[in-house]
Amino acid sequence: MAAPSQPRGGPGTPPRREALALDVSAQAPSASTPAGESQRQGPSSATAVEEQFSIPTGYGDDRIVLMVKDPWWLFAYWDIHPNTERTARRQLLPHEVAGLHSILRVYDVTGIDFPAQPAHASCDISLSDLATNWYIHVDAPNRSFIVEIGLLANGGRFLPLARSNRVTTPRFGPSDVIDEAWMTTDEAYWKLAGTLGVGVSSSPLGWSALLGQALSSGGWSSVSVLGQGRPSLVRGFWCRVDADLVIHGSTEPRAAVTIQGHPVTVRKDGTFSLRVALPDGTQTITIDATSPDGRHIRTVTPIVTLAWSGSLTSTAHRSPRTTGRRMAPKPESGGAS
Amino acid sequence: MERRGLLALVLHTHLPFVRHPEHPAFLEERWLFEAITETYLPLLERFQRLANDGVPFRITMSFTPPLLAMLADGMLQGRYVHHLDQLIELTEKEIQRTQWLPPFHRLALFYHHRFTTARRLYVDVYRRNLIHPFRELSDRGLLEPIASCATHGYLPLMETQPAAVRAQIQVGIQAFERAFGKRPLGFWLPECGYHPGHDAILKEFGIRYFLMDAHGILFGSPRPKYGAYAPVMCPSGVAAFGRDLESSKSVWSAEEGYPGDDDYREFYRDVGFDLEYDYVRPYLNGDGLRLNTGIKYYRITGKTNEKQPYDPDRALEKAVQHAGNFMFNREKQTEFLRSVMDRAPIIVSPYDAELFGHWWFEGPDWLEVLIRKIHAEQKTIRLVAPSDYFHEYPTSQVIEPTMSSWGYGGYSEVWLNGANDWIYRHLHKMADEMTRLANAHPRPDPLRSRLLNQMARELLLAQSSDWAFILKTQTHTAYAYRRLRDHLARFSYLSDAVRQGLVDEPWLSAAEAKDNLFPFLDYRVYASSV
Repeated sequence: MAAPSQPRGGPGTPPRREALALDVSAQAPSASTPAGESQRQGPSSATAVEEQFSIPTGYGDDRIVLMVKDPWWLFAYWDIHPNTERTARRQLLPHEVAGLHSILRVYDVTGIDFPAQPAHASCDISLSDLATNWYIHVDAPNRSFIVEIGLLANGGRFLPLARSNRVTTPRFGPSDVIDEAWMTTDEAYWKLAGTLGVGVSSSPLGWSALLGQALSSGGWSSVSVLGQGRPSLVRGFWCRVDADLVIHGSTEPRAAVTIQGHPVTVRKDGTFSLRVALPDGTQTITIDATSPDGRHIRTVTPIVTLAWSGSLTSTAHRSPRTTGRRMAPKPESGGAS
Repeated sequence: MERRGLLALVLHTHLPFVRHPEHPAFLEERWLFEAITETYLPLLERFQRLANDGVPFRITMSFTPPLLAMLADGMLQGRYVHHLDQLIELTEKEIQRTQWLPPFHRLALFYHHRFTTARRLYVDVYRRNLIHPFRELSDRGLLEPIASCATHGYLPLMETQPAAVRAQIQVGIQAFERAFGKRPLGFWLPECGYHPGHDAILKEFGIRYFLMDAHGILFGSPRPKYGAYAPVMCPSGVAAFGRDLESSKSVWSAEEGYPGDDDYREFYRDVGFDLEYDYVRPYLNGDGLRLNTGIKYYRITGKTNEKQPYDPDRALEKAVQHAGNFMFNREKQTEFLRSVMDRAPIIVSPYDAELFGHWWFEGPDWLEVLIRKIHAEQKTIRLVAPSDYFHEYPTSQVIEPTMSSWGYGGYSEVWLNGANDWIYRHLHKMADEMTRLANAHPRPDPLRSRLLNQMARELLLAQSSDWAFILKTQTHTAYAYRRLRDHLARFSYLSDAVRQGLVDEPWLSAAEAKDNLFPFLDYRVYASSV
């Protein structure tokens, strides 16, 4: 169960807002609510109902539900009210109590009307008292099952507490039934299945491998818009270093400034800035500022060198010093003033 | 029948309902924005270009109601335009910043062009509602839109609540009809999750066909004569088309599929993570956590962390090659199938639409080139929608397919495992409760009717298979958990209100405004006939 619970109740009693009384005479027979407990106070804010709600661990409704996971596995969850179990225990004779424990009894009910007719087979699964669900390995495609949860007493008496719905596992492999109007041969069947070119030989075993390849969003999470985990592409330590250069300065508000001949925006307060990704090597940067009336020009030409030593690339041999990379952007001339 | 085989490309288009008016910006709403920019707009642009060039084609797309609702939602439309404006601003800065690094400068211009084009298409051409152009493609006979479940509920795990299964199907079809103005011919079972008997419900609503995974048909009974290369008729009279795994593999497979090619764009290198924090901070979400912006400068390069700059021309060339390869393989496959079958095989290739463009950036190019090549360069296969098949072959073999899905393992394991199995206890309880109340209130007063309808919305939203999927994949799990809790909480609160006859009307209005999809919903779809 991955359902963390949150403390119930909020700070103070929220003010009741406009509450309209409905015509209760047409009320339904009492229906239990999923919350188990009700929020009787009006919510204080748009999200109070949600924030104050904790997902209940159960509903105490004495039921067991059986689901099919795949041709070999079933899943059952259940919810037995403590009173139901207490009532059942009262039926026990004193000598039956020792060793009493909860079990799932799994019935193979393929093609029969259970419990009017007896099950083909059954098996018991001993449960830990804390369990509220279980994966059941029936290992039986194309069979039908019902499970009961109950107490197994010393001496073998079984006190069922709840019985599940019926489920049928899917067939895994070709059907034995062949329609005369649509005759096919084993060979043709497997040719059509084998066109896959994915190692499906004439047996369902190849299919198990194939279905495990996850050719859909359901299996390959990164394809989905929803699943954007960022896997490290190559395992191991990594590091990236890049250098941006910010050239900034100020002049008269309506002056024109170009850097490498490209105009840059001069803000209302006369400041300007330019951010550039710095390539390796030496850059000679020409910055021209022209006065608003066009009469005065100032030019500065900082020279910037980006040089690297060391390497971030993983190397074949293990040397502790190979990832020591230094970065040396050095302004070699006067900056803009 | 002029061609030897038929090819049906099917794009399944879905996002969970993520709309949070209570926050000014919400991280998960970006799922929609990214899908619009990277998938829906590029696909529309290419389909319309093909149509305008007179290239005949048929393509099938399923649209889920949560996505349709979000595409038509004014608040999200406005937020999307803002999102694009932010990206355009960032690319403007990037154009400047990269001016001394030509390969990156070119990419900054490339993205700036893409985002400004997206904005022009979205705002000026499509008037912010993408349903219209899809509908237009449908009216022109190029697109076969098909319906899906109300909120992408995974039906095989709803089997103990037949009314909930019916509601997922019925509300899904109602939402489709409102969006497309016609009845759907086909139906996409979420995750291709089929359980015997659900076809009968589809039949009631006039559905002609649905899609499922190959093994569901191959292991059906009686044994299928044509494998998964012809539809089979379920006992109810609805046809089931099986997925072709060979063509699926060439696109889906993480190892061998086209999208993993070294020349294609690397998904996991994004400026949102790569650039200096303060510089990108204005383009992150309110919490300031780094995220994918969609501006990605590198190609896959290989199994290395030393990525090379992305080259769109080189990638396009590769997409052309891959389209040729896909077509060639389908031709060969058709010839082989033809040697075993006495009718033309239909190869059904379904993919998540968001795979194209979002994950596989070059996917929309690949698709356009594939369609052009199929039209111009070969005579073996013809593009069809599944429903076209019945004109060629009106009769199909009657088979009961087996329970199956297209998820990992082929059954329900993705949505039923130790990470998410706890949710069914609650989902089933809610569904039972909903049916009980629907039976008890056949003729409600207006206010109670609103309460019950909102309950049904909360139930449907909680049933979205996405939450189970996210819990399983361990990304965004806090969000999935929160959504389940919120819908459960509102459902429970509403249920109490119905029972006690007390309503906090402003709260109800707020809930209706928040979870506002399915305005037409009538909770009585949950009534059981027992």
